[in-house]
Amino acid sequence: MSTSPVIDVADLNLTYGGFHAVKDVSFQVQRGELYALLGTNGAGKTSTLEIIEGHRRPSSGAARVFGHDPRKRSAVRPKVGIMLQESGFSPDLTVKESVALIGALTLREDRVERVLGIVDLNRKAATLVSQLSGGEKRRLDFATAAWGSPELVFLDEPTTGLDISSRDDLWTAVDKLREDGSTVVLTTHYLEEAQQRADRVGLMHRGTMHREGTVAELTRQLPGVIRFTLPPTAPHPPVKGSRRDDGTYVIETFTLARDLKELLQWAEGHHIDLQGLSAGPTRLDDVFRALDTDD
Amino acid sequence: MLTIARHELTQILRNRAVLVSGLVIPFAVSASLVWRHETFENIGSLGYLASTIVLTIAAFSLYSTVVTTLASRRQNLFLKRLRSTAARDHEILWGLVLPATAIAGVQLLGILAVLAAVAGSPDNSLLFAAGTLATIAMMLGLGLATAGLTHSPEHAQVTTLPISLGTIAVGVWVGITGTENLATVKRLLPGGAATELMTDAWNGGASVVDSLVLLAPTLAWVFLALFLAQRLFQWEPRR
Repeated sequence: MSTSPVIDVADLNLTYGGFHAVKDVSFQVQRGELYALLGTNGAGKTSTLEIIEGHRRPSSGAARVFGHDPRKRSAVRPKVGIMLQESGFSPDLTVKESVALIGALTLREDRVERVLGIVDLNRKAATLVSQLSGGEKRRLDFATAAWGSPELVFLDEPTTGLDISSRDDLWTAVDKLREDGSTVVLTTHYLEEAQQRADRVGLMHRGTMHREGTVAELTRQLPGVIRFTLPPTAPHPPVKGSRRDDGTYVIETFTLARDLKELLQWAEGHHIDLQGLSAGPTRLDDVFRALDTDD
Repeated sequence: MLTIARHELTQILRNRAVLVSGLVIPFAVSASLVWRHETFENIGSLGYLASTIVLTIAAFSLYSTVVTTLASRRQNLFLKRLRSTAARDHEILWGLVLPATAIAGVQLLGILAVLAAVAGSPDNSLLFAAGTLATIAMMLGLGLATAGLTHSPEHAQVTTLPISLGTIAVGVWVGITGTENLATVKRLLPGGAATELMTDAWNGGASVVDSLVLLAPTLAWVFLALFLAQRLFQWEPRR
Protein backbone atom coordinates (compact mmCIF):
# COMPACT_ATOMS: atom_id res chain seq x y z
CA MET A 1 0.00 0.00 0.00
CA SER A 2 1.26 3.49 -0.83
CA THR A 3 2.65 5.52 2.07
CA SER A 4 2.33 8.86 0.30
CA PRO A 5 -0.25 11.19 1.84
CA VAL A 6 -3.78 11.09 0.50
CA ILE A 7 -3.95 14.88 0.78
CA ASP A 8 -0.93 17.14 0.55
CA VAL A 9 -1.50 20.86 0.98
CA ALA A 10 1.48 23.21 0.66
CA ASP A 11 1.60 26.97 1.20
CA LEU A 12 -2.00 27.40 0.17
CA ASN A 13 -3.33 30.92 -0.27
CA LEU A 14 -6.71 32.19 -1.36
CA THR A 15 -7.54 35.82 -1.89
CA TYR A 16 -10.79 37.21 -3.21
CA GLY A 17 -12.08 40.75 -3.35
CA GLY A 18 -9.04 41.99 -1.42
CA PHE A 19 -9.76 39.53 1.41
CA HIS A 20 -7.03 37.05 2.28
CA ALA A 21 -9.18 34.05 3.25
CA VAL A 22 -6.44 31.40 3.42
CA LYS A 23 -2.85 32.27 4.36
CA ASP A 24 0.07 29.90 3.76
CA VAL A 25 -1.78 26.81 4.96
CA SER A 26 0.11 23.50 4.80
CA PHE A 27 -0.86 20.08 6.09
CA GLN A 28 -1.08 16.44 5.08
CA VAL A 29 -3.65 13.74 5.61
CA GLN A 30 -2.39 10.16 5.73
CA ARG A 31 -4.20 7.11 4.44
CA GLY A 32 -6.81 5.76 6.88
CA GLU A 33 -6.79 8.86 9.10
CA LEU A 34 -9.78 10.83 10.30
CA TYR A 35 -8.54 14.40 10.03
CA ALA A 36 -10.71 17.12 11.54
CA LEU A 37 -10.33 20.57 10.03
CA LEU A 38 -11.73 22.89 12.64
CA GLY A 39 -11.93 26.61 13.07
CA THR A 40 -13.92 29.56 14.25
CA ASN A 41 -16.44 31.13 11.88
CA GLY A 42 -14.57 32.80 9.00
CA ALA A 43 -11.37 30.92 9.85
CA GLY A 44 -10.94 29.81 6.24
CA LYS A 45 -11.71 26.12 6.69
CA THR A 46 -14.55 26.03 4.15
CA SER A 47 -12.38 27.83 1.58
CA THR A 48 -9.54 25.39 2.26
CA LEU A 49 -11.89 22.44 2.02
CA GLU A 50 -13.36 23.71 -1.26
CA ILE A 51 -9.88 23.93 -2.75
CA ILE A 52 -9.05 20.38 -1.66
CA GLU A 53 -12.38 19.15 -2.99
CA GLY A 54 -11.57 20.78 -6.33
CA HIS A 55 -14.33 23.37 -6.24
CA ARG A 56 -11.96 26.34 -6.08
CA ARG A 57 -8.65 27.34 -7.56
CA PRO A 58 -6.08 28.59 -5.01
CA SER A 59 -4.47 32.00 -5.50
CA SER A 60 -1.09 30.36 -4.84
CA GLY A 61 0.31 27.19 -3.36
CA ALA A 62 -0.88 23.71 -4.16
CA ALA A 63 -3.26 21.02 -3.01
CA ARG A 64 -2.76 17.44 -4.19
CA VAL A 65 -5.24 14.64 -3.67
CA PHE A 66 -3.95 11.15 -4.44
CA GLY A 67 -1.07 12.98 -6.11
CA HIS A 68 -3.36 14.86 -8.52
CA ASP A 69 -4.64 18.40 -8.81
CA PRO A 70 -8.12 17.98 -7.23
CA ARG A 71 -9.67 19.95 -10.09
CA LYS A 72 -8.87 17.02 -12.40
CA ARG A 73 -12.17 15.42 -11.55
CA SER A 74 -11.90 12.39 -13.79
CA ALA A 75 -8.65 11.39 -12.01
CA VAL A 76 -9.64 12.17 -8.43
CA ARG A 77 -13.39 11.88 -8.00
CA PRO A 78 -13.81 8.15 -8.62
CA LYS A 79 -11.92 7.73 -5.32
CA VAL A 80 -13.68 10.54 -3.45
CA GLY A 81 -17.08 10.92 -1.77
CA ILE A 82 -18.19 14.42 -0.83
CA MET A 83 -20.85 15.33 1.70
CA LEU A 84 -21.50 19.01 1.10
CA GLN A 85 -22.42 21.45 3.83
CA GLU A 86 -25.62 22.36 2.01
CA SER A 87 -27.84 19.81 0.41
CA GLY A 88 -27.83 20.60 -3.35
CA PHE A 89 -30.37 17.99 -4.35
CA SER A 90 -33.12 18.63 -6.85
CA PRO A 91 -36.47 18.95 -5.08
CA ASP A 92 -38.21 17.32 -8.06
CA LEU A 93 -36.29 14.04 -7.88
CA THR A 94 -37.01 11.20 -5.47
CA VAL A 95 -34.52 9.96 -2.91
CA LYS A 96 -33.83 6.87 -4.99
CA GLU A 97 -33.37 8.90 -8.20
CA SER A 98 -31.03 11.35 -6.46
CA VAL A 99 -28.79 8.62 -5.10
CA ALA A 100 -28.82 6.75 -8.41
CA LEU A 101 -27.88 9.91 -10.33
CA ILE A 102 -25.03 11.02 -8.09
CA GLY A 103 -23.86 7.45 -7.60
CA ALA A 104 -23.67 6.81 -11.33
CA LEU A 105 -21.66 10.00 -11.82
CA THR A 106 -19.04 8.96 -9.25
CA LEU A 107 -18.09 6.05 -11.56
CA ARG A 108 -18.07 3.69 -8.55
CA GLU A 109 -20.20 0.57 -8.32
CA ASP A 110 -22.85 0.21 -5.63
CA ARG A 111 -26.56 -0.39 -5.06
CA VAL A 112 -29.13 2.25 -4.11
CA GLU A 113 -30.71 -0.09 -1.53
CA ARG A 114 -27.38 -0.63 0.22
CA VAL A 115 -26.44 3.03 0.64
CA LEU A 116 -29.97 4.05 1.62
CA GLY A 117 -29.88 1.21 4.15
CA ILE A 118 -26.77 2.74 5.76
CA VAL A 119 -28.76 5.85 6.64
CA ASP A 120 -32.12 4.15 7.15
CA LEU A 121 -33.77 5.89 4.20
CA ASN A 122 -34.99 2.87 2.22
CA ARG A 123 -38.58 3.51 3.32
CA LYS A 124 -38.27 7.03 1.84
CA ALA A 125 -36.85 5.84 -1.48
CA ALA A 126 -39.90 6.97 -3.47
CA THR A 127 -40.28 10.29 -1.62
CA LEU A 128 -39.45 13.55 -3.40
CA VAL A 129 -36.45 15.34 -1.90
CA SER A 130 -38.65 18.42 -1.38
CA GLN A 131 -40.66 16.40 1.15
CA LEU A 132 -37.69 15.35 3.29
CA SER A 133 -36.85 16.96 6.63
CA GLY A 134 -33.52 18.72 7.11
CA GLY A 135 -32.08 15.74 8.95
CA GLU A 136 -33.22 13.33 6.24
CA LYS A 137 -31.52 15.49 3.61
CA ARG A 138 -28.26 15.29 5.59
CA ARG A 139 -28.60 11.50 5.69
CA LEU A 140 -29.27 11.43 1.95
CA ASP A 141 -26.16 13.53 1.49
CA PHE A 142 -24.12 11.03 3.47
CA ALA A 143 -25.58 8.18 1.43
CA THR A 144 -24.31 9.75 -1.81
CA ALA A 145 -20.88 10.37 -0.23
CA ALA A 146 -20.69 6.73 0.90
CA TRP A 147 -21.67 5.37 -2.54
CA GLY A 148 -19.15 2.70 -3.53
CA SER A 149 -17.13 3.05 -0.29
CA PRO A 150 -14.71 5.71 -1.59
CA GLU A 151 -11.08 5.82 -0.51
CA LEU A 152 -11.46 9.40 0.69
CA VAL A 153 -14.61 10.96 2.17
CA PHE A 154 -15.17 14.65 2.89
CA LEU A 155 -17.76 15.25 5.62
CA ASP A 156 -18.68 18.92 5.86
CA GLU A 157 -20.76 19.47 9.00
CA PRO A 158 -22.20 15.95 8.69
CA THR A 159 -24.35 15.88 11.82
CA THR A 160 -25.84 19.38 11.71
CA GLY A 161 -29.61 19.05 12.02
CA LEU A 162 -29.52 15.39 13.07
CA ASP A 163 -31.10 14.11 16.28
CA ILE A 164 -28.90 12.14 18.67
CA SER A 165 -30.02 8.77 17.39
CA SER A 166 -29.37 9.71 13.75
CA ARG A 167 -26.02 11.17 14.77
CA ASP A 168 -25.00 7.91 16.41
CA ASP A 169 -26.15 5.96 13.35
CA LEU A 170 -24.16 8.22 11.06
CA TRP A 171 -21.00 7.83 13.14
CA THR A 172 -21.48 4.08 13.09
CA ALA A 173 -21.60 4.31 9.29
CA VAL A 174 -18.45 6.46 9.29
CA ASP A 175 -16.71 3.89 11.49
CA LYS A 176 -17.72 1.20 8.99
CA LEU A 177 -16.25 3.24 6.13
CA ARG A 178 -13.01 3.59 8.08
CA GLU A 179 -12.91 -0.13 8.76
CA ASP A 180 -13.11 -0.59 5.02
CA GLY A 181 -10.07 1.65 4.65
CA SER A 182 -11.55 5.06 3.88
CA THR A 183 -9.71 8.21 4.84
CA VAL A 184 -12.03 10.87 6.29
CA VAL A 185 -11.73 14.65 6.34
CA LEU A 186 -14.21 16.19 8.74
CA THR A 187 -15.35 19.70 9.52
CA THR A 188 -17.79 20.18 12.35
CA HIS A 189 -18.96 22.67 14.92
CA TYR A 190 -19.60 19.83 17.37
CA LEU A 191 -16.15 19.80 18.94
CA GLU A 192 -16.89 16.76 21.11
CA GLU A 193 -17.29 14.74 17.90
CA ALA A 194 -13.86 15.80 16.70
CA GLN A 195 -12.43 15.18 20.18
CA GLN A 196 -13.79 11.63 20.21
CA ARG A 197 -13.20 10.66 16.59
CA ALA A 198 -10.30 12.56 15.07
CA ASP A 199 -6.85 11.04 14.76
CA ARG A 200 -5.49 14.51 14.13
CA VAL A 201 -6.92 18.00 14.21
CA GLY A 202 -6.02 21.03 12.14
CA LEU A 203 -7.15 24.16 13.93
CA MET A 204 -7.60 27.16 11.63
CA HIS A 205 -7.91 30.72 12.85
CA ARG A 206 -8.11 33.88 10.74
CA GLY A 207 -6.99 32.11 7.60
CA THR A 208 -3.95 30.38 9.06
CA MET A 209 -3.31 26.85 10.33
CA HIS A 210 -3.04 27.92 13.94
CA ARG A 211 -2.30 24.54 15.48
CA GLU A 212 -2.15 20.98 14.29
CA GLY A 213 -1.77 17.63 16.01
CA THR A 214 -3.62 14.92 17.90
CA VAL A 215 -6.28 15.99 20.38
CA ALA A 216 -3.88 15.06 23.18
CA GLU A 217 -1.15 17.23 21.68
CA LEU A 218 -3.46 20.20 21.32
CA THR A 219 -5.03 19.97 24.75
CA ARG A 220 -1.72 19.27 26.49
CA GLN A 221 -0.81 22.92 25.97
CA LEU A 222 -3.62 24.08 28.26
CA PRO A 223 -4.23 23.12 31.92
CA GLY A 224 -6.99 20.80 33.15
CA VAL A 225 -9.55 22.24 35.54
CA ILE A 226 -10.85 21.14 38.99
CA ARG A 227 -13.92 22.92 40.38
CA PHE A 228 -15.60 22.56 43.77
CA THR A 229 -17.23 24.59 46.52
CA LEU A 230 -16.13 24.64 50.16
CA PRO A 231 -18.07 25.62 53.28
CA PRO A 232 -17.01 29.09 54.54
CA THR A 233 -15.41 27.63 57.64
CA ALA A 234 -13.27 25.10 55.78
CA PRO A 235 -9.48 25.53 55.69
CA HIS A 236 -7.68 26.33 52.47
CA PRO A 237 -7.19 23.31 50.21
CA PRO A 238 -3.66 22.01 49.67
CA VAL A 239 -3.62 22.65 45.94
CA LYS A 240 -3.11 26.18 44.70
CA GLY A 241 -6.15 27.68 43.07
CA SER A 242 -8.36 30.71 43.06
CA ARG A 243 -11.54 31.24 45.05
CA ARG A 244 -14.41 33.10 43.47
CA ASP A 245 -16.94 35.29 45.29
CA ASP A 246 -19.54 32.52 45.23
CA GLY A 247 -17.18 30.23 47.13
CA THR A 248 -16.21 28.11 44.14
CA TYR A 249 -12.60 27.04 43.92
CA VAL A 250 -11.11 26.78 40.42
CA ILE A 251 -7.79 24.98 40.11
CA GLU A 252 -6.01 24.99 36.76
CA THR A 253 -3.35 22.33 36.59
CA PHE A 254 -1.11 20.46 34.20
CA THR A 255 -0.94 17.57 36.71
CA LEU A 256 -4.63 16.88 37.00
CA ALA A 257 -4.54 13.30 38.32
CA ARG A 258 -1.93 14.01 41.01
CA ASP A 259 -3.64 17.19 42.22
CA LEU A 260 -7.07 15.59 42.24
CA LYS A 261 -5.78 12.65 44.28
CA GLU A 262 -4.15 15.02 46.78
CA LEU A 263 -7.31 17.08 47.04
CA LEU A 264 -9.53 14.05 47.68
CA GLN A 265 -7.18 12.71 50.35
CA TRP A 266 -7.16 16.14 52.02
CA ALA A 267 -10.95 16.36 51.98
CA GLU A 268 -11.31 12.88 53.42
CA GLY A 269 -8.74 13.61 56.14
CA HIS A 270 -10.56 16.80 57.14
CA HIS A 271 -14.05 15.32 56.72
CA ILE A 272 -14.88 18.03 54.19
CA ASP A 273 -17.50 17.65 51.50
CA LEU A 274 -16.25 18.98 48.16
CA GLN A 275 -19.59 20.20 46.87
CA GLY A 276 -20.19 20.21 43.11
CA LEU A 277 -16.82 18.62 42.46
CA SER A 278 -15.91 18.38 38.78
CA ALA A 279 -12.58 17.65 37.23
CA GLY A 280 -11.62 17.24 33.61
CA PRO A 281 -8.78 17.45 31.18
CA THR A 282 -8.66 20.33 28.75
CA ARG A 283 -11.14 19.91 25.92
CA LEU A 284 -11.03 21.19 22.38
CA ASP A 285 -13.59 23.78 23.47
CA ASP A 286 -10.96 25.24 25.81
CA VAL A 287 -8.38 25.25 23.01
CA PHE A 288 -10.90 27.14 20.89
CA ARG A 289 -11.59 29.66 23.62
CA ALA A 290 -7.86 30.20 24.01
CA LEU A 291 -7.55 31.17 20.35
CA ASP A 292 -8.62 34.77 20.87
CA THR A 293 -6.27 35.22 23.81
CA ASP A 294 -3.41 33.93 21.65
CA ASP A 295 -3.80 36.86 19.22
CA MET B 1 -24.18 13.11 -19.92
CA LEU B 2 -27.16 10.94 -20.79
CA THR B 3 -27.65 10.03 -17.11
CA ILE B 4 -27.88 13.72 -16.24
CA ALA B 5 -30.15 14.37 -19.25
CA ARG B 6 -32.52 11.56 -18.26
CA HIS B 7 -32.90 12.91 -14.74
CA GLU B 8 -33.22 16.47 -16.06
CA LEU B 9 -36.08 15.38 -18.30
CA THR B 10 -37.77 13.83 -15.26
CA GLN B 11 -37.45 17.13 -13.42
CA ILE B 12 -38.87 19.13 -16.33
CA LEU B 13 -41.85 16.81 -16.66
CA ARG B 14 -42.56 17.06 -12.91
CA ASN B 15 -42.35 20.86 -12.79
CA ARG B 16 -45.69 22.30 -13.91
CA ALA B 17 -44.44 25.89 -14.24
CA VAL B 18 -41.64 24.88 -16.62
CA LEU B 19 -43.94 22.49 -18.43
CA VAL B 20 -46.51 25.21 -19.11
CA SER B 21 -44.16 28.10 -19.94
CA GLY B 22 -41.63 26.02 -21.84
CA LEU B 23 -43.83 23.53 -23.64
CA VAL B 24 -47.54 24.22 -23.61
CA ILE B 25 -47.50 27.97 -24.34
CA PRO B 26 -44.97 27.91 -27.24
CA PHE B 27 -46.76 24.90 -28.70
CA ALA B 28 -50.16 26.60 -28.42
CA VAL B 29 -48.84 29.84 -29.96
CA SER B 30 -47.22 27.95 -32.82
CA ALA B 31 -50.32 25.86 -33.39
CA SER B 32 -52.44 29.01 -33.58
CA LEU B 33 -49.99 30.45 -36.13
CA VAL B 34 -50.38 27.34 -38.27
CA TRP B 35 -54.15 27.57 -37.90
CA ARG B 36 -54.01 31.16 -39.22
CA HIS B 37 -51.45 30.44 -41.92
CA GLU B 38 -53.43 32.21 -44.66
CA THR B 39 -53.41 35.46 -42.70
CA PHE B 40 -49.63 35.23 -42.34
CA GLU B 41 -49.24 34.49 -46.02
CA ASN B 42 -51.09 37.72 -46.77
CA ILE B 43 -48.91 39.75 -44.38
CA GLY B 44 -45.60 38.26 -45.45
CA SER B 45 -45.21 34.76 -46.79
CA LEU B 46 -45.43 31.14 -45.72
CA GLY B 47 -41.65 31.20 -45.18
CA TYR B 48 -42.11 34.14 -42.81
CA LEU B 49 -44.67 32.10 -40.85
CA ALA B 50 -42.30 29.10 -40.69
CA SER B 51 -39.37 31.23 -39.47
CA THR B 52 -41.62 32.89 -36.87
CA ILE B 53 -42.54 29.44 -35.54
CA VAL B 54 -38.87 28.49 -35.32
CA LEU B 55 -37.99 31.70 -33.47
CA THR B 56 -40.97 31.36 -31.09
CA ILE B 57 -40.07 27.81 -30.12
CA ALA B 58 -36.34 28.65 -29.92
CA ALA B 59 -37.01 31.72 -27.77
CA PHE B 60 -39.47 30.21 -25.30
CA SER B 61 -39.21 26.41 -25.38
CA LEU B 62 -35.43 26.47 -25.58
CA TYR B 63 -33.83 29.76 -24.55
CA SER B 64 -36.11 30.67 -21.62
CA THR B 65 -36.22 27.10 -20.36
CA VAL B 66 -32.44 26.77 -20.48
CA VAL B 67 -31.92 30.03 -18.58
CA THR B 68 -34.58 29.15 -15.98
CA THR B 69 -33.26 25.61 -15.57
CA LEU B 70 -29.62 26.59 -15.12
CA ALA B 71 -30.47 29.44 -12.71
CA SER B 72 -32.63 27.10 -10.67
CA ARG B 73 -30.05 24.31 -10.58
CA ARG B 74 -27.37 26.78 -9.52
CA GLN B 75 -29.55 28.40 -6.87
CA ASN B 76 -30.35 25.11 -5.13
CA LEU B 77 -26.67 24.02 -5.45
CA PHE B 78 -27.55 21.13 -7.76
CA LEU B 79 -24.76 22.29 -10.11
CA LYS B 80 -22.27 22.15 -7.24
CA ARG B 81 -23.58 18.72 -6.34
CA LEU B 82 -23.04 17.50 -9.92
CA ARG B 83 -19.55 19.02 -9.87
CA SER B 84 -18.82 16.97 -6.74
CA THR B 85 -18.84 13.88 -8.93
CA ALA B 86 -16.51 12.71 -11.69
CA ALA B 87 -18.67 14.36 -14.38
CA ARG B 88 -16.87 17.03 -16.40
CA ASP B 89 -18.27 20.53 -16.82
CA HIS B 90 -19.26 20.14 -20.46
CA GLU B 91 -20.96 16.82 -19.69
CA ILE B 92 -22.96 18.49 -16.92
CA LEU B 93 -24.01 21.40 -19.12
CA TRP B 94 -24.91 19.24 -22.09
CA GLY B 95 -26.82 16.88 -19.83
CA LEU B 96 -28.82 19.77 -18.41
CA VAL B 97 -29.67 21.48 -21.72
CA LEU B 98 -30.18 18.36 -23.82
CA PRO B 99 -33.79 17.66 -22.72
CA ALA B 100 -34.95 21.23 -23.42
CA THR B 101 -33.16 21.12 -26.78
CA ALA B 102 -34.68 17.76 -27.67
CA ILE B 103 -38.16 18.91 -26.63
CA ALA B 104 -37.82 22.07 -28.75
CA GLY B 105 -36.62 19.97 -31.68
CA VAL B 106 -39.55 17.56 -31.43
CA GLN B 107 -41.99 20.48 -31.13
CA LEU B 108 -40.52 22.11 -34.23
CA LEU B 109 -40.61 18.90 -36.23
CA GLY B 110 -44.24 18.30 -35.32
CA ILE B 111 -45.49 21.84 -35.94
CA LEU B 112 -43.54 22.35 -39.17
CA ALA B 113 -44.69 18.96 -40.47
CA VAL B 114 -48.30 20.03 -39.88
CA LEU B 115 -47.61 23.39 -41.57
CA ALA B 116 -46.08 21.62 -44.57
CA ALA B 117 -49.04 19.26 -44.75
CA VAL B 118 -51.70 21.98 -44.65
CA ALA B 119 -49.94 24.78 -46.55
CA GLY B 120 -47.19 23.25 -48.66
CA SER B 121 -43.64 21.99 -48.16
CA PRO B 122 -40.47 24.12 -48.07
CA ASP B 123 -38.73 24.69 -51.40
CA ASN B 124 -35.33 23.66 -49.94
CA SER B 125 -35.72 21.54 -46.82
CA LEU B 126 -31.99 21.17 -46.20
CA LEU B 127 -31.39 24.91 -46.22
CA PHE B 128 -34.38 25.44 -43.96
CA ALA B 129 -33.00 22.78 -41.60
CA ALA B 130 -29.58 24.50 -41.62
CA GLY B 131 -31.22 27.81 -40.70
CA THR B 132 -33.21 26.12 -37.94
CA LEU B 133 -30.16 24.37 -36.46
CA ALA B 134 -28.15 27.61 -36.54
CA THR B 135 -31.00 29.39 -34.75
CA ILE B 136 -31.17 26.66 -32.11
CA ALA B 137 -27.39 26.82 -31.59
CA MET B 138 -27.56 30.62 -31.27
CA MET B 139 -30.38 30.54 -28.71
CA LEU B 140 -28.63 27.77 -26.77
CA GLY B 141 -25.43 29.84 -26.59
CA LEU B 142 -27.37 32.96 -25.61
CA GLY B 143 -29.15 30.88 -22.97
CA LEU B 144 -25.84 29.83 -21.39
CA ALA B 145 -24.62 33.43 -21.43
CA THR B 146 -27.86 34.82 -19.99
CA ALA B 147 -27.85 32.15 -17.26
CA GLY B 148 -24.58 33.70 -16.05
CA LEU B 149 -26.43 36.94 -15.36
CA THR B 150 -29.49 35.31 -13.82
CA HIS B 151 -29.60 34.69 -10.08
CA SER B 152 -32.82 32.70 -9.77
CA PRO B 153 -35.73 31.26 -11.77
CA GLU B 154 -37.77 34.34 -10.81
CA HIS B 155 -34.99 36.61 -12.08
CA ALA B 156 -35.04 34.65 -15.36
CA GLN B 157 -38.51 36.05 -16.07
CA VAL B 158 -36.81 39.45 -16.42
CA THR B 159 -33.39 38.58 -17.86
CA THR B 160 -34.80 36.48 -20.71
CA LEU B 161 -37.19 39.15 -22.01
CA PRO B 162 -34.74 41.31 -24.02
CA ILE B 163 -33.38 38.43 -26.09
CA SER B 164 -36.54 36.33 -26.42
CA LEU B 165 -38.79 39.23 -27.39
CA GLY B 166 -36.00 41.04 -29.26
CA THR B 167 -35.21 38.03 -31.45
CA ILE B 168 -38.87 37.48 -32.31
CA ALA B 169 -39.27 41.20 -33.02
CA VAL B 170 -36.27 41.12 -35.39
CA GLY B 171 -37.79 38.06 -37.09
CA VAL B 172 -41.12 39.81 -37.57
CA TRP B 173 -39.40 42.95 -38.87
CA VAL B 174 -37.28 41.02 -41.39
CA GLY B 175 -40.16 38.70 -42.32
CA ILE B 176 -42.60 41.51 -43.08
CA THR B 177 -40.32 44.19 -44.56
CA GLY B 178 -37.67 41.99 -46.22
CA THR B 179 -34.06 43.04 -46.55
CA GLU B 180 -34.21 45.48 -49.43
CA ASN B 181 -33.66 48.31 -46.94
CA LEU B 182 -31.22 48.30 -44.02
CA ALA B 183 -30.06 44.84 -45.09
CA THR B 184 -26.79 44.92 -43.13
CA VAL B 185 -28.44 46.04 -39.88
CA LYS B 186 -31.20 43.47 -40.20
CA ARG B 187 -28.79 40.65 -40.96
CA LEU B 188 -26.45 41.50 -38.09
CA LEU B 189 -29.19 41.55 -35.47
CA PRO B 190 -29.74 38.19 -33.70
CA GLY B 191 -32.29 36.20 -35.66
CA GLY B 192 -32.29 38.58 -38.66
CA ALA B 193 -30.09 36.59 -41.06
CA ALA B 194 -31.62 33.31 -39.84
CA THR B 195 -35.12 34.61 -40.58
CA GLU B 196 -34.09 35.69 -44.10
CA LEU B 197 -32.41 32.32 -44.69
CA MET B 198 -35.38 30.27 -43.47
CA THR B 199 -37.92 32.46 -45.27
CA ASP B 200 -36.02 32.14 -48.56
CA ALA B 201 -35.51 28.41 -48.08
CA TRP B 202 -39.22 27.84 -47.51
CA ASN B 203 -40.47 30.21 -50.25
CA GLY B 204 -37.71 29.46 -52.80
CA GLY B 205 -36.18 31.86 -55.26
CA ALA B 206 -32.83 32.62 -53.59
CA SER B 207 -29.60 30.93 -54.67
CA VAL B 208 -28.10 28.31 -52.36
CA VAL B 209 -24.78 30.18 -52.18
CA ASP B 210 -26.46 33.46 -51.18
CA SER B 211 -28.47 31.59 -48.56
CA LEU B 212 -25.44 29.84 -47.11
CA VAL B 213 -23.70 33.20 -46.71
CA LEU B 214 -26.61 34.15 -44.45
CA LEU B 215 -25.52 31.44 -42.01
CA ALA B 216 -22.40 33.43 -41.16
CA PRO B 217 -24.02 36.14 -38.96
CA THR B 218 -25.97 33.52 -37.00
CA LEU B 219 -22.85 31.41 -36.46
CA ALA B 220 -21.02 34.57 -35.37
CA TRP B 221 -23.74 35.04 -32.74
CA VAL B 222 -23.16 31.44 -31.63
CA PHE B 223 -19.45 32.09 -31.09
CA LEU B 224 -20.09 35.42 -29.38
CA ALA B 225 -22.68 33.82 -27.10
CA LEU B 226 -20.35 30.95 -26.18
CA PHE B 227 -17.53 33.42 -25.52
CA LEU B 228 -19.81 35.42 -23.22
CA ALA B 229 -21.04 32.22 -21.55
CA GLN B 230 -17.46 31.21 -20.77
CA ARG B 231 -16.91 34.57 -19.14
CA LEU B 232 -20.23 34.97 -17.36
CA PHE B 233 -21.37 31.50 -16.38
CA GLN B 234 -21.26 30.79 -12.64
CA TRP B 235 -21.48 27.31 -11.12
CA GLU B 236 -22.37 28.48 -7.65
CA PRO B 237 -24.52 31.33 -6.31
CA ARG B 238 -22.62 34.54 -5.75
CA ARG B 239 -21.58 34.98 -2.09
